[in-house]
Amino acid sequence: MRTLHGRLYLLVILGGAVGVVGCKKGAPPPSETGAADTAAAAPAPAAPEAFAVSEVTLGKAIGTDKRVASPSTTFGPKDTIYASVATTGSAPSKTLTAKWTFQDGQTVKEGSETIAPTGPAVTEFHMAKPSGWPVGKYKVEISADGTPATTKEFEVKK
Amino acid sequence: MPDAKQPKADFSDVEGGSSSTAPAPSGRSYTVVKGDSLSKIAKHLYGDAQKWRKIYEANRDQIKNPDLIYPGQTFTIPDA
Repeated sequence: MRTLHGRLYLLVILGGAVGVVGCKKGAPPPSETGAADTAAAAPAPAAPEAFAVSEVTLGKAIGTDKRVASPSTTFGPKDTIYASVATTGSAPSKTLTAKWTFQDGQTVKEGSETIAPTGPAVTEFHMAKPSGWPVGKYKVEISADGTPATTKEFEVKK
Repeated sequence: MPDAKQPKADFSDVEGGSSSTAPAPSGRSYTVVKGDSLSKIAKHLYGDAQKWRKIYEANRDQIKNPDLIYPGQTFTIPDA
């Protein structure tokens, strides 16, 4: 009986398998289906997204992804100050500039980074002052190819 | 308003830098030689001396004064 049952099970399983194969046989091969689906579903190639500064975040440290780990707008005199600039879009060459100024209008530091982004990217600018930052209000202006994009204000407190 | 009597804050020892997740442009680079000026380099590379500002903007980290560049400096030359 066990053998008979075993054979019956085997027949049922084999029958099912043949059925599945039979069903598949009527359908095109997976590769063809995939190719046909892709060709049919793929929209016309989109124009490259225009380059833009999407966000500027300030903080005391950045990660390997150049993003500020803990955003802050208040710093201590001995802190290194980071500005993490997130951008979208692509460009063969864009120069991002960070101009840091003090409350009296003095330029504290100016730095630039020329990039050729092919999509979302993060560029960081940082500055430190070993002798300590004067207490007061500061701002950093981010521009792209000389065109101001955004300004962030922050403060140094004792 | 800051106190007018206060001495001007000194930022001469400020250090800074930058970096990006985006690649640098694959454009040309140019090493300054004696007698060069930004407009001369722009004329040589772009055929237009008026485009010196493009080189200046792309190398602001190295060029403090566009009238003062030094032999040995290597500049990124953005596409015209």
